[in-house]
Amino acid sequence: MSFLGPLPFGIFIYIALGAAALAVGAYIIKMRRRRFEVPFSHLWKRVLEQKDANALWKQLKRLISLLLILLILAIVLFAALDPTLGAVDRKARSVVVLFDASASMKAMDGNEAGSKSRLDAAKERTKALVDSMGGGDVAMIMKVDGQATPMSRFSSDGPVLNKVIDGIAASDTPADLTRALGAAADALRDRPNPLIVIVSDGAFPEAQLGLVSWDEKKPLAPQPAPDGKTSNAANWEKKDLAAVDLSKIDVRYLPVGRRSDNVGIVAFNVRRYIANKAAYEVYIEVQNFGQEPAHRQLALYNGDTAVDIKKIDIAPGQRIKQIYPKLPGSLDNKLRASLRPVEGAGGSDSFALDDQAFALLPARKKQKVLMVTTDNLFLEGAILVYDNIDPAKVSPAEYDAKPSLADGMDVVIFDEHTPAVLPPSPTSLLFFHPTGENSPFAIRGELANPRITEIDEGHPVMRWVTMSDIYMDKSGTFAPDPKKGESTIAYSVRDSIIAAKRDGRRKILAFGFSLPAAGRESATDLPMRVAFPMLLVNTLDWFAGDQTDLLTTYPTGSRERVPLDGVVGATEAEVKGPDGTITKTPIIDGRATFYGSRVGYYDVTAKDGKGTPIAQIELAANLASPAESDIAPSTELSLAGKKLEAPEAFAITRSKKLWIYLILFAMALIVMEWVTYHRRITV
Amino acid sequence: MEPASASLTQLKKSAAVRESRVADRSELFDDRFLKTLEHLHMVSRKVFAGNLRAERRTRKVGSGIEFADHRTYARGDDFRYIDWNLYGRLDKLLLRLFEEEEDLHIYILVDVSDSMAIGSPLPKLHYAMQVGAALTYVGLANLDRVAIIPFSDRIIDRLPPSRGKNRIFRVFDFLKKCDLGGKTELAECMKDFVTQNKRRGLAVVISDFYDPQGFEQGINTLRYNKFEPFVLQVYDKREAEPNLHGDLALVDCETGDTREVTVSKSLLEQYTKAHEAYCQELEAYCTKYAMPFFRTHTSIPFDELVLKIFRSGGFLR
Repeated sequence: MSFLGPLPFGIFIYIALGAAALAVGAYIIKMRRRRFEVPFSHLWKRVLEQKDANALWKQLKRLISLLLILLILAIVLFAALDPTLGAVDRKARSVVVLFDASASMKAMDGNEAGSKSRLDAAKERTKALVDSMGGGDVAMIMKVDGQATPMSRFSSDGPVLNKVIDGIAASDTPADLTRALGAAADALRDRPNPLIVIVSDGAFPEAQLGLVSWDEKKPLAPQPAPDGKTSNAANWEKKDLAAVDLSKIDVRYLPVGRRSDNVGIVAFNVRRYIANKAAYEVYIEVQNFGQEPAHRQLALYNGDTAVDIKKIDIAPGQRIKQIYPKLPGSLDNKLRASLRPVEGAGGSDSFALDDQAFALLPARKKQKVLMVTTDNLFLEGAILVYDNIDPAKVSPAEYDAKPSLADGMDVVIFDEHTPAVLPPSPTSLLFFHPTGENSPFAIRGELANPRITEIDEGHPVMRWVTMSDIYMDKSGTFAPDPKKGESTIAYSVRDSIIAAKRDGRRKILAFGFSLPAAGRESATDLPMRVAFPMLLVNTLDWFAGDQTDLLTTYPTGSRERVPLDGVVGATEAEVKGPDGTITKTPIIDGRATFYGSRVGYYDVTAKDGKGTPIAQIELAANLASPAESDIAPSTELSLAGKKLEAPEAFAITRSKKLWIYLILFAMALIVMEWVTYHRRITV
Repeated sequence: MEPASASLTQLKKSAAVRESRVADRSELFDDRFLKTLEHLHMVSRKVFAGNLRAERRTRKVGSGIEFADHRTYARGDDFRYIDWNLYGRLDKLLLRLFEEEEDLHIYILVDVSDSMAIGSPLPKLHYAMQVGAALTYVGLANLDRVAIIPFSDRIIDRLPPSRGKNRIFRVFDFLKKCDLGGKTELAECMKDFVTQNKRRGLAVVISDFYDPQGFEQGINTLRYNKFEPFVLQVYDKREAEPNLHGDLALVDCETGDTREVTVSKSLLEQYTKAHEAYCQELEAYCTKYAMPFFRTHTSIPFDELVLKIFRSGGFLR
């Protein structure tokens, strides 16, 4: 018999003695009796004198009653020690069960018939594991997918743990084993006999399997040597920092899964052509992870419209790359690739999650552009090249006479003109050679024959643009104020030639020099360069928030920072998932954090304080993980070269908890005492 | 049993409640009571018709008119009572003796101790006073001299012997106003009684006879001093068969003695038997010495008891 009580034995003895003393004290203290007046107590005395002949029996009955109470007390205290009948042949262990709930656990190979998922099989095995725990073992269930989520505290309560296991659902993300092992190791720190049991199909990337250290970690920071010249930094590898310290922890592996045949889409993306943004191309990768040749129908949809359907035959292990070039634009920007089963051998598999993939065409908006210029063929010619705009032109005099001409415009270009009244926000503004006090950027001075010596290559306007050999006979220079969000994107040595800024929801760009035109003294050869139309396109794209290299398709299980164009002041965005659930995500520096746990389309919306949407972006999430699509179960798992054993130590030990029987016995005694007291047997 | 000093306050409190109950005697002798007395008187006259009024002969030889006996003349005797006819025939000087006729003295001794204050719905004391008043009325109506003497651990007061029905209202007033309370000490009280009352007569003792020292000595004192004890025991039914259960502290209402008892059914049975035995002990004692004895509980109407007394004889002759 063993005792698994929650208190140290010494403290328990003190409590037992105290409780016994209280019980005895309660018997010593006389009960306050109801008073009753009698006319002639002499008669009672006579009767009681006769009765006192039985005083010994009376005392004995009282003693028996006391002993009975002490017995009940002893039984209750004994039950508190949690006595367990049966051999406990090992020490109590602290167990963290890492329950793999990644995408591959959705494979329907939990049984031969294929009616149960791999996750269901894992649940059964885990519950059997929990049921076989000894009396002193405590276990914590931790769900492992793209994150590591503790689902319970350390508990020895089997039914509670089983309920927790039943409530686990698989996600659409790859498993992050390193994160889970780190969390488990942290949870087990300073606990006796730590044990980690990984219940999984073993679908982990090789890189994660190596990020484990079985030895105690080396010092986390290089220590300077006594002579001050050398240090042990050389002994300290980057890998050691990321490695999970599993020293002194027993790690076991419980494999689940049966089948390995699977064909899945491992990559799916789409992009617009830079030159022709109306057209786009699609890239799909499909891989056969099985051991047999597979056949599928690969279908590509734009919205509900099938763009292409073709049959593909894939050899075992083969990865097919499909590119769909020059696809014409359409109203729907949602693309979907689907692998359809075909009849016959190798026509289907048990893992459906990677048979579909989703992608989004970057949003494209037609802008209204107003040119405030006297006739300037260079500007007008370049603007007309861009097919996604709706241009208009007024003279500076017309604009000054009626600034409301700019109302409803997305962009206004001021060519050699600096108006007193600027169009209202959110209209974006492009200036060529602004002057005077009304210049959007403070004018510092003027340079003769400046050369552009440096550009901000990271700025969207300067993407794919070279300006190093551009000639200008003169140019105004700006004094941008970084505190106002103003920045220089092209320098002549240290002078700002081209400046840009965000002004609330609109953007402003200013060139310090003039474009050549009839009647102008200054001259530049920029309009004759390839860079000029590119500059205008980039500028209009930047104004529209259309980033050509913006990614809208992400893998599930990874945390990404997605730019939200024009977001000012908002700190939180709403993310509407594929299943309609809405979650909140923080916005930091204009970027929202995105974590896709399900495959499908997401809608990220930033709102201002009044709840009005100020920015919105659509995203798609796909499994896109060859490691997860490779559902072949690993019967063995090695971490950093160490093969993990099956948790054979969980052989079922038959032990019986006695506390419930003891409490029942104590209750029976209490009832007996109560009955005998009230039937005047023991009084 | 030891006095429980801790229970003194409680005892005083309950005594105060008890006293307030028995102290209210305003309704004790109402018109209905008077009618009952008159009825009793009529019944007594009917039952004992033929008896002479105020003709209760005593054995005392005195100045009556009815011849009783002769005795030898002694020096100093009144010559007028010498029977000269017998002297002529027998040549002996014999004196003629006559029975002396005198009024019978009836002493109604009412126990007013604390134990008499117990009883429900009528305290024993009230019952005893009603019985005492009824007997007094009948005695007064029969032209006997009736005195009322309340007692507990001493003779508390005394209504001197008086005669005639019209005295009954003084009796009522006296009973309503007399002091109450104290322990029952029969022996001491009877000793004082016989010392204070030289005229012998009928001593009707109305009490519960709950005297820890025993009832014998008190009754014997009356007997030894030529009084005719007439014993009336009054008790309450709940005293004989108390309805008690569980753990109790029994407090003696007279002494304050406390005894902790766990009352069980068997103990109650034993007590009932002990009470009955005590009463029978008293009855046996009275029977042994040819003393009239009546035992009654407060549930029996007092007039029934009085009639029973009349029928049995001893009170009315």
